[in-house]
Amino acid sequence: MNDSHEQELHKLQAELAHVTRVTTVGELTASIAHELNQPLGAIVTNGHACLRLLARENPDIEEARQAVECMIADGLRASEVIKRIRRLLKKSATGKSSHNINNIIHDVLRLIAGELNKNGINVSTRLSNQLPYVLVDRVQIQQVVINLILNSKEAMSGAGWQPRELTIHTGQTATDITVKITDTGVGISPENREQAFEPFFTSKEDGLGLGLSISRTIINAHGGKLWLEPGPDEQGTISQFTLPLSEHVL
Amino acid sequence: MNAGLQLVFVVDDDVSMRNAISRLLCAVGLMVKTFASAHEFLESKLPEVPGCVVLDVKLPDLSGLDLQREMVERGIHIPIVFITGHGDIPMSVQAMKAGAVEFLTKPFRDEDLIDAVRTGIERDRHGRKERAELDELREGLAQLTQREREVMALVVAGLLNKQIALRLGASEKTIKIHRSHVMHKMGADSLAELVRMSQKLGIDMQRS
Repeated sequence: MNDSHEQELHKLQAELAHVTRVTTVGELTASIAHELNQPLGAIVTNGHACLRLLARENPDIEEARQAVECMIADGLRASEVIKRIRRLLKKSATGKSSHNINNIIHDVLRLIAGELNKNGINVSTRLSNQLPYVLVDRVQIQQVVINLILNSKEAMSGAGWQPRELTIHTGQTATDITVKITDTGVGISPENREQAFEPFFTSKEDGLGLGLSISRTIINAHGGKLWLEPGPDEQGTISQFTLPLSEHVL
Repeated sequence: MNAGLQLVFVVDDDVSMRNAISRLLCAVGLMVKTFASAHEFLESKLPEVPGCVVLDVKLPDLSGLDLQREMVERGIHIPIVFITGHGDIPMSVQAMKAGAVEFLTKPFRDEDLIDAVRTGIERDRHGRKERAELDELREGLAQLTQREREVMALVVAGLLNKQIALRLGASEKTIKIHRSHVMHKMGADSLAELVRMSQKLGIDMQRS
């Protein structure tokens, strides 16, 4: 592996780590809640103390003043917590820029090639080379593609399961870019096909059940659609999403 | 409203919260001692005055619930008011079952904390009085001879001196002397008081 390739891989891995950070937003929320609740609790208690100190027959101005100073310090502390969270999420909040969906897919495949290889999964791509650029948040779309591919991988990972074929197809309609990820896995029953998008729905023992729910939220936010269909001959699953073509993008 | 010395122990690892609670309790005339960890609290010498512990559930070294258990094991009877960042029902049930005065979620109303702390102090004052009284009674009981204990048991059972004399095979005059020794050693002024004492001693009497 040459140096520039290795550097690029490092960059991609750092980005994947970032994607994972965003995915664990639920866990993050609990810790944020605690971090914010401490200074807020102290502010409220100091406020109560301050009122009582001032309401005395001989108001204790000095102690009340100290209470207010602590309240200011804790208010600043709370806003520091928020600044930290902003910084943490900033990378994904940089917004949209124009990208070729094929490049995003290639990036993702390079990242998780090892994982797919380890599971004996054959990957083939049929990516249209005529695609216009789309206006997307690259990290978010990466996250969606990773989620969908990892779901397909899971569906084909049962002991002795065959065949293990993953096909990624990109194309274009009059209004949208389309991405299809087809697997030859266990498939998903018709009644679960929509339920799968509910938060916390999972078929995996250690799954969080947020992958598809978050993915759909992201695609919807881009003005596209995400859905599941049975694979060819009612085998496996096709995960599909669309992204609208933009007039402003070349 | 509360006579005499009393002390509130605030155990919270968050320095802002700890100082804010301390300021609030001081503002209503309570004396406060603060601790940053469970161990700091356990290692300190606690003065023998009625008190109450304000305890954060989430401490870095020992959780508040573990500290509650540890205090029971060490014979520290000071009532606990729990405070927590997030109200978790199973946790609060566990704490209350183990004898906590109150379980408050931050941020809490000042009255709620002050009321709980005062309840805790009163509970401790009462508990201390009870334990001191019981200790005194046990001391008195320990001074009784075997014969005097027998006499005391029969006296509080409602028997007359004559009946006790018959039961124990002694003269009524001897029983009268035993009886007055019992009253004196136990510090009882009346039969009714002796009965009340024996009820408090309950277990000790049965053992004798």
